[in-house]
Amino acid sequence: MSAERLQGLLEGAFPDAAEVRVIDRGGGDHFEVRVTAPDFDGLSRIQQHKLIYAALDDPWKDGSIHELRINTKGTTQ
Amino acid sequence: MTDETATNDAATYSEKIQGVIDGSDVVLFMKGTPDAIMCGNSERALGALRRAGAPITAVDVLLDMQIRDELSAISGWPTIPQVFVKGELVGGADIVEDMERTGELEQTLTDKLGENYWDGRGENTVVLVEG
Repeated sequence: MSAERLQGLLEGAFPDAAEVRVIDRGGGDHFEVRVTAPDFDGLSRIQQHKLIYAALDDPWKDGSIHELRINTKGTTQ
Repeated sequence: MTDETATNDAATYSEKIQGVIDGSDVVLFMKGTPDAIMCGNSERALGALRRAGAPITAVDVLLDMQIRDELSAISGWPTIPQVFVKGELVGGADIVEDMERTGELEQTLTDKLGENYWDGRGENTVVLVEG
Protein backbone atom coordinates (compact mmCIF):
# COMPACT_ATOMS: atom_id res chain seq x y z
CA MET A 1 0.00 0.00 0.00
CA SER A 2 1.30 3.39 -0.89
CA ALA A 3 0.25 6.99 -0.75
CA GLU A 4 0.51 6.98 -4.55
CA ARG A 5 -2.36 4.52 -4.86
CA LEU A 6 -4.61 6.76 -2.77
CA GLN A 7 -3.43 9.78 -4.70
CA GLY A 8 -4.41 8.07 -7.96
CA LEU A 9 -7.83 7.02 -6.71
CA LEU A 10 -8.61 10.50 -5.41
CA GLU A 11 -7.40 12.22 -8.58
CA GLY A 12 -9.58 9.83 -10.57
CA ALA A 13 -12.61 10.53 -8.41
CA PHE A 14 -12.10 14.30 -8.31
CA PRO A 15 -10.63 15.21 -11.71
CA ASP A 16 -11.36 18.93 -11.24
CA ALA A 17 -9.72 19.13 -7.81
CA ALA A 18 -7.59 22.17 -7.08
CA GLU A 19 -5.60 20.14 -4.58
CA VAL A 20 -5.21 16.43 -3.84
CA ARG A 21 -2.65 15.65 -1.19
CA VAL A 22 -1.99 12.35 0.53
CA ILE A 23 0.29 12.37 3.56
CA ASP A 24 1.71 9.13 4.94
CA ARG A 25 1.22 9.32 8.72
CA GLY A 26 3.23 6.20 9.41
CA GLY A 27 3.06 2.45 9.36
CA GLY A 28 2.14 2.35 5.68
CA ASP A 29 -1.57 2.29 6.55
CA HIS A 30 -2.14 5.58 8.37
CA PHE A 31 -2.89 8.43 6.01
CA GLU A 32 -4.13 11.97 5.88
CA VAL A 33 -5.83 13.22 2.73
CA ARG A 34 -6.51 16.81 1.79
CA VAL A 35 -8.78 17.46 -1.14
CA THR A 36 -10.06 20.79 -2.43
CA ALA A 37 -12.57 20.27 -5.22
CA PRO A 38 -15.73 21.80 -6.70
CA ASP A 39 -17.45 18.47 -5.96
CA PHE A 40 -17.71 19.58 -2.34
CA ASP A 41 -19.35 22.93 -2.97
CA GLY A 42 -22.59 23.22 -1.05
CA LEU A 43 -22.18 19.86 0.72
CA SER A 44 -22.09 19.32 4.47
CA ARG A 45 -18.89 17.95 5.96
CA ILE A 46 -20.59 14.58 6.38
CA GLN A 47 -21.44 14.46 2.68
CA GLN A 48 -17.94 15.61 1.74
CA HIS A 49 -16.28 12.91 3.81
CA LYS A 50 -18.64 10.27 2.44
CA LEU A 51 -17.41 11.12 -1.07
CA ILE A 52 -13.84 10.51 0.11
CA TYR A 53 -14.81 7.19 1.69
CA ALA A 54 -16.56 6.18 -1.54
CA ALA A 55 -13.48 7.02 -3.62
CA LEU A 56 -11.29 4.96 -1.29
CA ASP A 57 -13.67 2.03 -0.96
CA ASP A 58 -11.26 -0.56 -2.40
CA PRO A 59 -8.31 0.17 -0.12
CA TRP A 60 -10.73 0.27 2.82
CA LYS A 61 -12.18 -3.10 1.98
CA ASP A 62 -8.84 -4.82 1.42
CA GLY A 63 -7.50 -3.45 4.70
CA SER A 64 -4.85 -1.20 3.16
CA ILE A 65 -6.06 1.76 5.18
CA HIS A 66 -6.07 1.40 8.91
CA GLU A 67 -6.51 5.03 9.82
CA LEU A 68 -7.48 8.03 7.76
CA ARG A 69 -7.66 11.72 8.51
CA ILE A 70 -9.78 13.66 6.06
CA ASN A 71 -9.65 17.34 5.25
CA THR A 72 -11.99 18.52 2.51
CA LYS A 73 -12.82 21.91 1.05
CA GLY A 74 -15.03 23.15 -1.70
CA THR A 75 -13.68 25.68 -4.15
CA THR A 76 -16.16 28.39 -3.23
CA GLN A 77 -15.59 28.16 0.53
CA MET B 1 -21.59 10.42 36.04
CA THR B 2 -21.19 6.81 35.02
CA ASP B 3 -24.15 4.58 34.59
CA GLU B 4 -23.94 1.25 32.87
CA THR B 5 -27.12 0.03 31.32
CA ALA B 6 -27.21 -3.38 29.74
CA THR B 7 -29.87 -3.79 27.10
CA ASN B 8 -30.70 -7.44 27.18
CA ASP B 9 -34.04 -7.94 25.52
CA ALA B 10 -34.51 -9.82 22.30
CA ALA B 11 -33.94 -6.85 19.98
CA THR B 12 -31.26 -7.17 17.32
CA TYR B 13 -28.15 -5.00 17.38
CA SER B 14 -29.58 -2.91 14.59
CA GLU B 15 -32.71 -2.10 16.60
CA LYS B 16 -30.72 -1.48 19.75
CA ILE B 17 -28.28 0.83 18.00
CA GLN B 18 -31.14 2.76 16.43
CA GLY B 19 -32.83 2.92 19.83
CA VAL B 20 -29.76 4.45 21.47
CA ILE B 21 -29.34 6.93 18.59
CA ASP B 22 -32.99 7.99 18.78
CA GLY B 23 -33.21 7.98 22.56
CA SER B 24 -30.11 10.00 23.48
CA ASP B 25 -29.18 13.64 23.00
CA VAL B 26 -25.56 12.95 22.10
CA VAL B 27 -24.23 9.48 21.27
CA LEU B 28 -20.57 8.63 20.82
CA PHE B 29 -19.84 5.24 19.28
CA MET B 30 -16.26 4.64 20.28
CA LYS B 31 -13.52 2.07 20.74
CA GLY B 32 -13.45 1.43 24.46
CA THR B 33 -15.28 3.48 27.08
CA PRO B 34 -14.69 7.02 28.38
CA ASP B 35 -12.79 5.46 31.31
CA ALA B 36 -10.79 3.09 29.11
CA ILE B 37 -10.32 4.60 25.67
CA MET B 38 -8.84 2.17 23.14
CA CYS B 39 -8.21 4.46 20.17
CA GLY B 40 -6.70 7.88 19.57
CA ASN B 41 -9.52 9.02 17.30
CA SER B 42 -12.16 8.04 19.82
CA GLU B 43 -10.18 10.06 22.37
CA ARG B 44 -10.18 13.09 20.06
CA ALA B 45 -13.94 12.99 19.57
CA LEU B 46 -14.57 12.41 23.28
CA GLY B 47 -12.28 15.31 24.20
CA ALA B 48 -14.08 17.72 21.89
CA LEU B 49 -17.48 16.68 23.26
CA ARG B 50 -16.27 16.97 26.84
CA ARG B 51 -14.85 20.45 26.26
CA ALA B 52 -18.13 21.49 24.66
CA GLY B 53 -20.01 20.28 27.74
CA ALA B 54 -22.05 17.66 25.91
CA PRO B 55 -24.22 15.10 27.70
CA ILE B 56 -22.48 12.05 26.24
CA THR B 57 -23.94 8.59 25.87
CA ALA B 58 -21.02 6.32 24.97
CA VAL B 59 -21.27 2.95 23.24
CA ASP B 60 -18.24 0.64 23.00
CA VAL B 61 -18.13 -0.96 19.55
CA LEU B 62 -15.29 -3.31 20.50
CA LEU B 63 -17.58 -5.59 22.48
CA ASP B 64 -18.70 -7.31 19.30
CA MET B 65 -17.58 -6.83 15.67
CA GLN B 66 -21.23 -6.99 14.68
CA ILE B 67 -22.04 -3.74 16.48
CA ARG B 68 -19.65 -1.87 14.22
CA ASP B 69 -20.99 -3.52 11.06
CA GLU B 70 -24.59 -2.78 11.95
CA LEU B 71 -23.76 0.79 12.91
CA SER B 72 -21.99 1.49 9.61
CA ALA B 73 -24.93 -0.01 7.74
CA ILE B 74 -27.27 2.42 9.53
CA SER B 75 -25.10 5.52 9.25
CA GLY B 76 -23.33 4.97 5.93
CA TRP B 77 -20.13 5.93 7.73
CA PRO B 78 -17.33 3.35 7.69
CA THR B 79 -15.14 4.47 10.58
CA ILE B 80 -15.22 4.80 14.36
CA PRO B 81 -15.81 7.10 16.22
CA GLN B 82 -19.24 8.33 15.15
CA VAL B 83 -21.07 11.16 16.88
CA PHE B 84 -24.83 11.62 16.68
CA VAL B 85 -26.77 14.60 18.01
CA LYS B 86 -30.54 14.20 18.33
CA GLY B 87 -30.52 11.22 16.00
CA GLU B 88 -28.42 12.81 13.28
CA LEU B 89 -24.87 11.81 12.33
CA VAL B 90 -22.58 14.78 12.94
CA GLY B 91 -19.31 13.12 11.99
CA GLY B 92 -16.15 11.41 13.14
CA ALA B 93 -13.12 12.78 14.98
CA ASP B 94 -11.94 15.08 12.19
CA ILE B 95 -15.31 16.78 11.75
CA VAL B 96 -16.09 17.08 15.46
CA GLU B 97 -12.67 18.60 16.20
CA ASP B 98 -13.05 20.95 13.27
CA MET B 99 -16.49 21.98 14.53
CA GLU B 100 -15.08 22.60 17.99
CA ARG B 101 -12.41 24.86 16.52
CA THR B 102 -14.94 26.95 14.61
CA GLY B 103 -17.49 27.09 17.44
CA GLU B 104 -20.02 25.07 15.44
CA LEU B 105 -20.03 22.22 17.93
CA GLU B 106 -21.36 24.32 20.80
CA GLN B 107 -23.70 26.06 18.38
CA THR B 108 -25.11 22.73 17.16
CA LEU B 109 -25.57 21.51 20.74
CA THR B 110 -27.30 24.77 21.67
CA ASP B 111 -29.54 24.65 18.61
CA LYS B 112 -30.55 21.03 19.10
CA LEU B 113 -30.55 20.62 22.88
CA GLY B 114 -31.36 24.10 24.10
CA GLU B 115 -29.33 26.85 25.74
CA ASN B 116 -28.98 25.04 29.04
CA TYR B 117 -27.66 21.79 27.55
CA TRP B 118 -24.50 22.28 29.59
CA ASP B 119 -26.43 21.37 32.75
CA GLY B 120 -26.63 17.80 31.48
CA ARG B 121 -22.91 17.44 30.75
CA GLY B 122 -21.27 14.20 31.70
CA GLU B 123 -20.98 10.68 30.46
CA ASN B 124 -22.91 7.49 30.70
CA THR B 125 -22.16 4.22 29.01
CA VAL B 126 -24.63 1.94 27.28
CA VAL B 127 -23.52 -1.66 26.94
CA LEU B 128 -25.04 -3.38 23.93
CA VAL B 129 -25.52 -7.10 24.32
CA GLU B 130 -27.12 -9.24 21.67
CA GLY B 131 -30.45 -10.56 22.86
